[in-house]
Amino acid sequence: MEAYFIAIGIIALIYVILSLGLTLQYGLTGLINFGHVGFFAIGAYTSALLALKGVPLVFSFAAAAALAGLAAWPLGLVSLRLRDDYFAIVTLGFSEVVRIVITSERWLTNGVQGLPGIPRLYEGLGGSAAQLAVLVTVLAVTLVGAWIIRRIAGSPFGRLIEAIRDNEEAVQALGKDPARFKVQVLVVGAALAGIAGAFYAHYITYIVPDQFIPLVTFYVWMAIIMGGVGRVSGAIVGTAILMLFLEGSRFLRDIVPGVSEVDMASVRIGAVGLLLVLFIMYRPQGLMGDYTKR
Amino acid sequence: MTHTRRQFIGTIGAATALIGAPSILRAQAQGTFRIGALCPVTGSGSPFGSGMQKMIIAAAEAVNAAGGAAGRKIEIVSEDTQTSPQAAVLAAKKLIDVNKVQAVLGTWSSGVSLAVVPLTNDANIILMNTSGAPALSMPPANAKGLSYRFQATNDRFGRAFAEICEKEGFKRPATMAFNNASGVGNTEGFRKAWEAKGHKLVESVVYEPNQPTYRSELQKVLAANPDVIVTGSYLADTTIIMREWYQSGQPVKWVMPGWAASPDLVKAVGPDVVEGVISVDSVSNENAPSYKAYDEAYRKATGQPGQSNVYAAMTWDMVHVLALAIEAANGTDMAAINAKIREVSNPAGQQVYTYAEGKEALKKGKINFEGASSVLDFDQYGDVTPDFGVFFIEGGQLNRRYVVKI
Repeated sequence: MEAYFIAIGIIALIYVILSLGLTLQYGLTGLINFGHVGFFAIGAYTSALLALKGVPLVFSFAAAAALAGLAAWPLGLVSLRLRDDYFAIVTLGFSEVVRIVITSERWLTNGVQGLPGIPRLYEGLGGSAAQLAVLVTVLAVTLVGAWIIRRIAGSPFGRLIEAIRDNEEAVQALGKDPARFKVQVLVVGAALAGIAGAFYAHYITYIVPDQFIPLVTFYVWMAIIMGGVGRVSGAIVGTAILMLFLEGSRFLRDIVPGVSEVDMASVRIGAVGLLLVLFIMYRPQGLMGDYTKR
Repeated sequence: MTHTRRQFIGTIGAATALIGAPSILRAQAQGTFRIGALCPVTGSGSPFGSGMQKMIIAAAEAVNAAGGAAGRKIEIVSEDTQTSPQAAVLAAKKLIDVNKVQAVLGTWSSGVSLAVVPLTNDANIILMNTSGAPALSMPPANAKGLSYRFQATNDRFGRAFAEICEKEGFKRPATMAFNNASGVGNTEGFRKAWEAKGHKLVESVVYEPNQPTYRSELQKVLAANPDVIVTGSYLADTTIIMREWYQSGQPVKWVMPGWAASPDLVKAVGPDVVEGVISVDSVSNENAPSYKAYDEAYRKATGQPGQSNVYAAMTWDMVHVLALAIEAANGTDMAAINAKIREVSNPAGQQVYTYAEGKEALKKGKINFEGASSVLDFDQYGDVTPDFGVFFIEGGQLNRRYVVKI
C-alpha cells in the first residue's frame, strides 16, 4: 500500500514541478505556453542519454535543466513579438517539433523504439528504501522550486513581470523592456520542466516519444487552473486534485456496484471528466485562486 | 449559498477517505491466487483490450470450475493501462502493492510492457505480455526471466515476410513503415532477414502517423520500381495508401501484416483495389481443441467470433499456462512456479488442451499445453514462435494458401 502511495507521490511531485514552471510563465507573466511538454521531453532525453553513457546522475540532471532552459531561449527571442494566442500556437508547434525530432533522429534517441533500461536514482539502496529516497529528493527539489518561485513573485522582478501580464504598454511606457524579462521567465520555467523530465525518465526507466504528447501540457494546465492561477499553493493543490481524480477513480470499483470490470475502465475515465467539469463550474477561479479580483 | 475554502477542502478530504477506505479491507484472502489483468481497455489498444480482459476472467472461471490451481481459486483484479506507459506504471503499482497480485497478465503495447517490466521484476512476479518489441526479450527488461511474450516479435514477422517474398519469387522489394516501434520493427526485421539471404531492398520509407494523404511517400517508393511493397502498417493508414496507389495505376504486389490487410480493409476500399494483396498473420492454433474452447468463451463474452481478436486468444492462454504451472509447482512460491512454466507448455509430455485435462494429466507425469493462440513453446528468452498464415485476397475474400514456419 505504501509503495503505491509513494509512486503516486513521485508522479504528482513531478507534475508539481511542471506546474511551478507554468505558474511562473502564465500565472505571473501571462505567457500562454502550450508547449511545456517539449521542455519536459528535452530534459527527459538529455538526462537519460547521458546516464546511459555512464555520466553521473548529478551532472545529467544539471545538463537536463541547462539544455531545456537553453532551448527556451531562441524560442523566446523569435516569438516575443507574438501576443497571447499567437505565442500559444508557436509553443504548441515547438513541442510537436521536439517530439518529431526525437522520433526521427534514431541514431541518437533510438526513435520510436524508445530508450529502455534508464538507470534509476539510488539504485544501490534497492527496493522500497530507494523509492522513499526518490520521493524525498523530488520533494526537496519541489520545495526549493516553490520557494524560488515565491521569492521571485515577491521581488521587484516579480512585480515587474506581473505588470507585464496586466499591462505591457504601461511597462514599456515606464522605460522597461518587457522582452528581456519574458525570455528570462521562459528560460527559468523551461529549466524547471527539464528537471521534472529528468526525474520522470529515471523513475519510469523507459521513455519513448509517445509519452511526450500535448496531453501532458494540458494536464499541467488543468492542474494550475483548478488550483488557482498565479499562486504557488495553487500549483501544488491543483496537481493534488488532478492526481486524486485520476488515481482515486481506480477505487471506484469498490464503491460502485453493478458495473463489470471491463466497463469500469471507461466509467472511470468518464468520472474523471465529469469531476473536472463540475470543479471548474463551481470553482472557476481554482481552489486557491485570488478571490479579491473579478 | 457560499462555500469557504476550508469547507471545500474538508469535503475533498472526506471523499479521499471514502475512496481509500475499502482498499484497506482488501487483505489477501486465504486460499486464493490473485492475478492482475492489466489490459488496454481505453486508448489506442481499446479495440482489443476489453476482449483480452474478458478472456482473462473467462479463463480464470474455467480454472476455478476445475477446482482451482494447487487447491486455490484464481482471483482476477482488473486495471486499465489506457495504452499509456505512465498510467500503466501507476496501475501496475496499485495491482502489486495494494491488491498484492502475484502475476500481471495482458499488457499489450511495447511501451507499456517495457515500463511495467521493471516493477514486476522488482516484486519478483511474472509478467505476461503480447508486445512485439525485441528489447523485451533481453536484459535489463527480462533480466530475471520472469517475462513471457505470447505474441511473435516484430523480428519474427519480418523473417516471415522475407520467407514469403522469396517463395513468391519477388526480386525488388521496397518497404513502407508506420513510424512506431511495431511498424518499423516489422520492416527492419524484413530488411535484416532479406539481406541475410543476399538480396537488396530497392527503397524503404518511414511515414508519420495520422496524415490525410501518403501520396509523396508512395511516389518515392513507386519511383524505385519495386515488384512488391512490404508494409509495417495499420488499418487506417493502409486504407489511404491503397486508395492512392490504385489511383496511380502502377502494378505492384503488396505484403502486409494481418492487422492491416483485414476484412475491414476490403470493406473500406473495395475488393478490386486489394485483389492479390498478401496478408500475413500469426495463425491461432485453430484446429486445436483449446482454440474451440476459447472461441466458445469469446463468443459468449462478446458475441463475436474468436478470430476477431488474436490477442484475446493469447490472454486466454496466459491464465491456462500460469494455472498449470501453479498446479505443477503445487504452491504459490513464485520461483517454483516460474521454473514450471516451460515445463508445462513446451514439448516432451502429454499434449493437453484444457485446464481440467492438464490438471488430470499432471498427476501422471509431464504435460505439454497447446494453446489457442499458438502451440506455446517458449524459448530461452520467454518468446514463442507461432506459425504464420499466408492469406491471398481474392474476390474480397482472405484465402489461406499456405503456412510459413520460421
